[in-house]
Amino acid sequence: MHYVLRWFHRDPDGQLWKHPGCEIRHLLNYNANTEYEEGRMKFKAFLRPHGVNLLERRFIPAFDKIGRVCHLYLTRDHAILLHNLLNGDGIQAIAQFKKEVLFEDYRISSQNDDRIALAVDLGLLHRALRSSVSMDGDRLQIKLVKKRAVASEHPMPFLTFESKGYRSAVIQDVPVSKPLSRVDVHHLQTALDMAQGLPQTLVQVPDLFQLQSLVERLKHVGELLNVSITQYGDLHLQVSSTLVTLGTEYRKLRVLGVQVDAPAVDDSISASARIELALQRGEASSVQVSMKHFAKSLQCYLTKPDSAFYGIASQGACLTVIFQFFIPGTRQTDRSISLHCRLPVLDTGTA
Amino acid sequence: MSNGEAPDLVCQLDDVQGIVDALTSVRWKKHQDALVELSEHGIVLVVEESGCLQAKVYLKKDIFHLYEYGAEERPRFGLGLGLFVDCLNTFTAPACSTTLEIRYPGPDMQLLLKSVDPVDACIYAEIRTRIPETISWDNFETTVTLPVSFTVKSAVLKEAIDDLEWPGSSIQIMLNPVPPSVSFRSEGHGDLQIDLHYERTDVLVAFQCDHQVSHRYKYKFIRATTSNIPSSVLKDNRGSKLTIGRGGILKIQHLVALVRPGVHHHVDIGGYQTPARVAYIEFYVKPEEEDTVNG
Repeated sequence: MHYVLRWFHRDPDGQLWKHPGCEIRHLLNYNANTEYEEGRMKFKAFLRPHGVNLLERRFIPAFDKIGRVCHLYLTRDHAILLHNLLNGDGIQAIAQFKKEVLFEDYRISSQNDDRIALAVDLGLLHRALRSSVSMDGDRLQIKLVKKRAVASEHPMPFLTFESKGYRSAVIQDVPVSKPLSRVDVHHLQTALDMAQGLPQTLVQVPDLFQLQSLVERLKHVGELLNVSITQYGDLHLQVSSTLVTLGTEYRKLRVLGVQVDAPAVDDSISASARIELALQRGEASSVQVSMKHFAKSLQCYLTKPDSAFYGIASQGACLTVIFQFFIPGTRQTDRSISLHCRLPVLDTGTA
Repeated sequence: MSNGEAPDLVCQLDDVQGIVDALTSVRWKKHQDALVELSEHGIVLVVEESGCLQAKVYLKKDIFHLYEYGAEERPRFGLGLGLFVDCLNTFTAPACSTTLEIRYPGPDMQLLLKSVDPVDACIYAEIRTRIPETISWDNFETTVTLPVSFTVKSAVLKEAIDDLEWPGSSIQIMLNPVPPSVSFRSEGHGDLQIDLHYERTDVLVAFQCDHQVSHRYKYKFIRATTSNIPSSVLKDNRGSKLTIGRGGILKIQHLVALVRPGVHHHVDIGGYQTPARVAYIEFYVKPEEEDTVNG
């Protein structure tokens, strides 16, 4: 007989996200799952060990720091984790994986061009993946199912993780939102398309971890952060209030995109004055963002990117951070994984 | 400097963390106004509460590897202690250089901080200063011919004060010459007395008292003297010196060792020794007015 462990998490009022805990039940009578049938929506795949590792060790912890709930958007070719693309004011984070990176035997179908999007609690997803790692088992299957949870009248959607070992099987049901409607998926796709634009100039952050520890300290001084980027590789972060101005300036960083030669350096003038001059010459952009958002964007260091670039979108529309991943053992960009964040701008500054 | 005049003070130091620790130890609440005085001898920072508790941090000029003082009269200014500590703390981030320059005044009378190493990353801060309110600067100074004092291991002192929280809102400190001992006592919901003996144990490093002395202090003020004591002081097994002066004013002194990064600093075990580069921290606590027993 199979010993089946199922984890359920659901509130009596059907609100999935308010309680982070999982209720654990040991059930010997196990009913077969009903695959999701609404509009002939189907998703079933096997997670690769590398995919589990990427998600469990790197991307889910990073995304969990940005927000508890994110969208999972699955298309024929890609699996995408998305933060705040549909609701406007937070930091947007987009991690896109080619399906082969995470999955094998990837099967998806829906009446909406084989696209499925749903919201998932990252804490629960993380827990399910983590415990599947500890299973010394066979392949890990993930599928979208609809089933009636204990003490519930209506069938609910779940992402079911099933790892079958030699003598045992672990099945974990992670509750998810109802798949997004055709209209919402359209909105999501539109927002995603709009979020792909690159800033004209990008500067490379020298050391993400050091920047993060610096920003942790800046956070105590103010809630708003001015970010200025010049076309010759200066990155200037400044917190300013009536009582204090505190800033840090990085110079001669690597530049991608539009680039000009640095002017003759006048080291005697202050960093703020230098940036002011660059803005006047039109060789710099400046925006103001929330310190909280900036700190959250730096949590992406948990994904272990090989490099990170900051840039300001045209007309100061947002501050963009692009993370780059190399193919392991090389200096070549791994194009099967992409990650970037867009920070909403609080004040257009003098961009 | 835009005005072209020499600043009152330009100084540089390596161990920003030590200064942060020293200043944090006198930060007992979030918003605290501090008074700073610059002189040819160093920098003194004073904070005060309700006229009953005062703390001073002495940063002598020899802890700085550069100290250029150019003022004629000692400049004094006020600033927010929390802001000052938070700004200084930014310079302890691993990203930044290890040398900090402090300059006063800026073009608009600011206190200017910046990292000075010639790398392509710098941190800077401009802290607005205020015209100082008149703090009763020397009100707490106690000149007594033969003060009553003892030196206790800082960790023991902190632990004793933490333990005395529950019984009541005040602490009685008693010194007995025979046998030489110190007692901390608190009453209220219950009572707790902690006795430290000079002869039988090594928790008291020094003891000087020729007559019985007893005074009562508000618990919250006594607590402020050890609540943020730097962990380096506790780790180094240092001593804190407590002196009871005229009218029962209690003075508590801690020493915070400042080290150059990467330089090992020798510390004797258990003594109230004076290492070469230290910040001096002094607290003065006035006794509660009623119930003053002075024998």
